[in-house]
Amino acid sequence: MEAYEPVARPVVQVIRPSARSETPPVEELKPKIRVRNLDFYYGAFRALHDISLDIPEKKVTAFIGPSGCGKSTLLRTLNRLYSLYPDQRAEGEVVLDGENILTTKQDVSLIRAKVGMVFQKPTPFPMSIFDNIAFGVRLFERLSRREMEERVEWALTRAALWAEVRRKLHQSGNSLSGGQQQRLCIARCIAIRPEVLLLDEPCSALDPISTARIEELIHELKSEYTVVIVTHNMQQAARVSDYTAYMYLGELIEYGPTDTVFIKPKRKETEDYITGRFG
Amino acid sequence: MRPARWKDVAFEQLTRLFALLVLGILAAILVALVLESRPSLDKFGLAFLWHAEWDPVQERFGALVPIYGTLGTSLIAMLIGIPVSFGIALFLTELSPAWLKRPLGTAIELLAAIPSIIYGMWGLFVLAPLFQAHVQPALIESLGALPLAGALFQGPPLGIGMLTAGLILSIMVIPFIAAVMRDVFDLVPALLKESAYGLGATTWEVMWKVVLPYTKVGVIGGIMLGLGRALGETMAVTFVIGNAHQLSKSLMAPGNSIASALANEFTEAVGDVYFSALIELGLILFLLTTVVLALAKLLLLRLARREGARA
Repeated sequence: MEAYEPVARPVVQVIRPSARSETPPVEELKPKIRVRNLDFYYGAFRALHDISLDIPEKKVTAFIGPSGCGKSTLLRTLNRLYSLYPDQRAEGEVVLDGENILTTKQDVSLIRAKVGMVFQKPTPFPMSIFDNIAFGVRLFERLSRREMEERVEWALTRAALWAEVRRKLHQSGNSLSGGQQQRLCIARCIAIRPEVLLLDEPCSALDPISTARIEELIHELKSEYTVVIVTHNMQQAARVSDYTAYMYLGELIEYGPTDTVFIKPKRKETEDYITGRFG
Repeated sequence: MRPARWKDVAFEQLTRLFALLVLGILAAILVALVLESRPSLDKFGLAFLWHAEWDPVQERFGALVPIYGTLGTSLIAMLIGIPVSFGIALFLTELSPAWLKRPLGTAIELLAAIPSIIYGMWGLFVLAPLFQAHVQPALIESLGALPLAGALFQGPPLGIGMLTAGLILSIMVIPFIAAVMRDVFDLVPALLKESAYGLGATTWEVMWKVVLPYTKVGVIGGIMLGLGRALGETMAVTFVIGNAHQLSKSLMAPGNSIASALANEFTEAVGDVYFSALIELGLILFLLTTVVLALAKLLLLRLARREGARA
């Protein structure tokens, strides 16, 4: 009798490639985004307290922490999405490529084109798959039909979705499965060629197989993009990220290479959270 | 069987009865309209639809003028009302500061509660003189000089007429359309809008390219509600349309609509043919609204196809 051989490779890789142990400290890398003394307010409520951290270029940085700790809030300052809501404000500095985006005169659309975002739930626009991708591109560029087709194919390929949708580009984005929709949203972001990708719990509405596909995708994307991911799932943070920030009640408790944070955290609070002895 | 079960059965039958009652009333109205308009149908046939004559003395009737007036005023009302309502709804959902939302929303709902006769009186005594003195002369001067569309804006400024009626109608339908649009815009998930903003879209792009397509069924429903009101509106139109059975190219000229012809002439309709001609007008209005509704459904189907919803 033949020995059992798994047909597919393991869906979830808990143990990361050995290369991981070489992750240098954050300070040695070129930061893409520098956050300095950031405070954030929802009306009178202070949600972030004096956050300072550097997000290194072309690495995956994870924000973890219990619900309400401010990790999503922090993420939403990085593309100034909070500024949609008049009662929300941020004080301090968020420096992207040398420019403080909190105070810049630069059009906020241009910041968001550079810093793409994917949300908790897939949000396909009510239009065809093709138009979902083309939507963002059309906001910034005038492309010929051919160039647009190439761009759409490129983005979908990059998001590992092309093979599944190439024959139904003109069907509604809503006709896809949840995992496919989320990859569509990632493709939609990539299509406008951002430099930073913000992922706000991108897998929280997905099944484990779709989650694994997204995680694989994150691995592939970090060669070209600076990725920041917010996640509730600590295994996910351990699997996909190079650097991890642990936040609690609006404060940054610990930040460093993921291996350090998960294996020998410097702070007791971090260890308690990671080992599940939290609270 | 539990003793209380019979109540369930009785309730089910009762609700079914209510629902069927709607169909029954609809059918009864249609039958009554057709029966009562028989003399006119027999005498004029289909030609009733495109004859402009309306001569009670010789009993020669044609519905072209009121049909034209009904469609024309409703069209004007929609041309003005839809963009304004969209603007109102957009402002209320996306741009308005929180403290202004409620008073504004309430004001719009109040506008919908004003009885139409008040709109009519206001239109006749306030709007029409203003229109005559200021707006119409300007329109005649400027747009009247255009090569083709100019014909719509020529003639003496009378104050009353199709244009004034259409304007009054637009004010009357705006609260309906705006309220529905606001409600459906409010239902759009925040995440969907944030995704579009997150790509760098402006407020206008988010509203026009994402929110509107997402809410199109509700928006078209709201427009149809407004259009239904505009087509059938009687009192306000009667006050300002001029009630003249004459066909004129100009929107400044007095005209007539189906509903105001009915309101004005029922009391004086002597003779079977005159009476049944009026009933036939009613029948036409009934069918007109049905056709409009059917077209709206078709439009929605076509939109769905273009979006590729047939997954």
